[in-house]
Amino acid sequence: MKLAVFLSDWRRTEDSFERLKADKMGVVLVGNGIYHAVVKENGKDSPVLSKAGASYYVLADDLEIRGYTAANVNSKVKVISYGDIVDLIMNDYEKTAWL
Amino acid sequence: MGELTLGVFPSLVGSMSLDFSFRLAEAAIAKGHKVNMWLSGNAVMMAKKGQKAFKDYSYNDKLMKELIAKGMEITACEACAEARGYHKEDAPEGMKRASMDWYLAKTVKTDRLLHIGGE
Repeated sequence: MKLAVFLSDWRRTEDSFERLKADKMGVVLVGNGIYHAVVKENGKDSPVLSKAGASYYVLADDLEIRGYTAANVNSKVKVISYGDIVDLIMNDYEKTAWL
Repeated sequence: MGELTLGVFPSLVGSMSLDFSFRLAEAAIAKGHKVNMWLSGNAVMMAKKGQKAFKDYSYNDKLMKELIAKGMEITACEACAEARGYHKEDAPEGMKRASMDWYLAKTVKTDRLLHIGGE
């Protein structure tokens, strides 16, 4: 299964997230989920970014409205637009999950 | 082109996930996709016509009307609306009201489904 997971909050959702398994996984950081892409705690990346084999994306609009730019984003994460999200859903992944 | 169905289940008025849903729908329609949107829970705030835009306040009424004009099918949960005092005559032009059956039927037939939860 090809699964796109939307993380919309900064709250700890690792328990649910860690249980998710897929042949191919894309993680889309939106809303307050964008903090996973820009904040380090004690010098470490968010645990969300450690999913083996996953691809990471962050919504540019939600970054900018919180005062961040692409320059602030973790190198594991690609900055994308709403149109890019549509393409991910329609072309690259079969199922979606919202956490 | 495909068909994308969005189930929108946000929390409070001004919800970020409701804003996200409309902007994603706009992008999907711009790419030629058919979009269905189900409004549940507090998302039925959109089922009240005559909304006014204020500065720095979430406002999706104008975009919603534009998307309806472009073919977006949008339906509000009838029970959620009635529970909040929004009646059939309050609904904006082009918006349907139905039971959850409408959403379930869409989830079976649609090419892709994104069920957007609360915050």
